[in-house]
Amino acid sequence: MTIPHTPLPLVFDAIPLAHVAQPFSLEVPERHTVVVLGDEDAGIGLLGGYALGLERPTSGRALVFGTDIASLPEPQRLAFRRRVGYLPSGDGLLQNLSIRDNVALPLRFGSSASPRDIEGRVNVMLTAVRLTAVAAQRPAQANEEERRRAALTRAIAFDPALLILEQPFDGLTARVASELLEFARGGESAEGARRTIFITGQEIPQVILRRVDRVYRLTRPGVLEPETV
Amino acid sequence: MALRIAVHQVRFTALHAVGLVTLLSGILSFLVISQATRELGRFGATDYIGTLIVVAIVRELGPLLTALVVVGRSGTAIAAELATNQVLGEVRALEAMGIDPKQYLVLPRFVGSLVSIFALLVLFDFVAVMAGFAAARFNGMPGARYFDIVLESLRARDVWLTIFKALAFGAIVGIVPSYFGLAARPAPTEIPIAASRAVVAAIVGIFLCSALFVALG
Repeated sequence: MTIPHTPLPLVFDAIPLAHVAQPFSLEVPERHTVVVLGDEDAGIGLLGGYALGLERPTSGRALVFGTDIASLPEPQRLAFRRRVGYLPSGDGLLQNLSIRDNVALPLRFGSSASPRDIEGRVNVMLTAVRLTAVAAQRPAQANEEERRRAALTRAIAFDPALLILEQPFDGLTARVASELLEFARGGESAEGARRTIFITGQEIPQVILRRVDRVYRLTRPGVLEPETV
Repeated sequence: MALRIAVHQVRFTALHAVGLVTLLSGILSFLVISQATRELGRFGATDYIGTLIVVAIVRELGPLLTALVVVGRSGTAIAAELATNQVLGEVRALEAMGIDPKQYLVLPRFVGSLVSIFALLVLFDFVAVMAGFAAARFNGMPGARYFDIVLESLRARDVWLTIFKALAFGAIVGIVPSYFGLAARPAPTEIPIAASRAVVAAIVGIFLCSALFVALG
């Protein structure tokens, strides 16, 4: 009997983050929460885009569940991205839509569920993150914390197995950041968290760093060192 | 949701431009027909008013002015809106969610522009003919004779040409500003640049397209 090989949720394989730099490599194991800290000069802002195939590295590859998204044809690339939750830095909420519509957007475009089912699911998610009161507001009318909650809720709309979060806790209190991290993990099982989470950022609250599985710091492009918490 | 954007686009592009198009069309037609009735009347050539209305106003100036009005109002808005989407990272977020920005952002605006220009052109032509009627009456021409002359000058080919022009100009207004909006780099200073480039390119495109119709027609 052979045990089927399950590809890792996320692998960066020898990707250059600057012109003359050591290639960046990292493996994110299943059900782990991995944090990579660093500043923009070290190329921290490029990792999410490479993982999702939004940008293509000059060499090397980023694999999500064993697939190089950037190399897929456009329709497959769009479809594959629905398997990954993504919270971009600065939230990426659409300003001309209400918070409710922002959360519903990926479901309306990427699922075959009926409008009634989508409405029901959105209501459940908004209640879970305590956004019901501001659901009808536009993102500009909500505060930073509510916008981040909304963006995270939208990121997990398809209940993805992998979440990529860029600077998710900037400007949030440690309590709110912890709450959002728990929401992102989707609960715990015997094997660990329900979701694999990859977080990038310049700095992240200490209380969060103590609750994740691995923390690295990108000291300069391509040079990854374990961070002592 | 895309349908909602298309409806919003039609409301902004067509409905909100009704007053301006009516005013432009009415004044243009009234002035042209007033002058033409007087001048052509001196030579007993008032029958040419029909050709003037059909060829000059309904077939040529109508589509051109309608498209220019829509470019000025909605082309800038489309380019600025999409450039803002780009600058705020919303386009990137859409792609990351597996939503094609062309399908979500461009297609509804494209459809909205097609429908709007077509509707505004029908309005423009209707107002032009009615203003021409008022001008002709004002200058002593019987109303029945005016309509006879106009209908005699109108050919099916004129109607088809006007429809094709409306569709071509609608496509230009939907696509060109969208292209420049989405091509904006992620910096706030890019928004006015995108709007300005979009309007210039769309106007050039409309004039070239109009010239092409004349050359082919």
